Amino acid sequence: MSRIYAATLLLILAFFLFSAVKLDYGQLRGGVSEYYIARGVAETGALNMVTAIYLNYRVYDTLGEATVFFASALGVFMLLRKNTGPAGRQEEGESDG
Amino acid sequence: MDRTSSILKIFTRKLFSFILLYGCYLISHGHLSPGGGFQGGVVFGSAIILLGLVEGVKLTEKRFREDSLSLTKNVGMLVFIFLGFVGIFLGYYFLSDFLPRGEVGTVPSAGLILLLNLTIGFMVGTGIAVIFYRIVRHKA
Repeated sequence: MSRIYAATLLLILAFFLFSAVKLDYGQLRGGVSEYYIARGVAETGALNMVTAIYLNYRVYDTLGEATVFFASALGVFMLLRKNTGPAGRQEEGESDG
Repeated sequence: MDRTSSILKIFTRKLFSFILLYGCYLISHGHLSPGGGFQGGVVFGSAIILLGLVEGVKLTEKRFREDSLSLTKNVGMLVFIFLGFVGIFLGYYFLSDFLPRGEVGTVPSAGLILLLNLTIGFMVGTGIAVIFYRIVRHKA
């Protein structure tokens, strides 16, 4: 019985995946690129359109990127400590973060 | 036991300041030409990594201490978020552009973008240098 459920679930999933594959990604939708090209320099003052998008229109995304980088650097900082002795013994007078 | 060739050492010492200068250019002109905070920061970090590979990490640490590099990274992240909150205090939304604009094509033309590039550049450069220090000195 459970195999019939699994097969039905897989068929439904396959249908959605197939309909996603059939979409036409070759054409632009929404017109946001024309908006950026037409008014990007006037609105942000940045000639480099990539910078205008990632630091003005999509600046929250950049905040997330910076946070991800900060977290990875902090992870390396925590995992590879200074003077790691046997069995995780730590030297005194060390600061983290 | 110093087996680094003198060619590498001399060229690294000469090139070091120019690499830092190129990183400054990439960061400060990120909104006018290809480049930006992340790329310029990586160039910054690669200068410190080059010095560490050629001169040894101990000598490099005397000039670029790990504590101060790590502090710069943390302060950079805080300044990024603080610049976002300044927009709220001035009556706009979070991370909005509250600075006046200059003439298009000059360095202060883009308002907040330059400041955000600076903070991202310092954060990425010092963070990469700190990661390099930690990985090099790690004994398994």
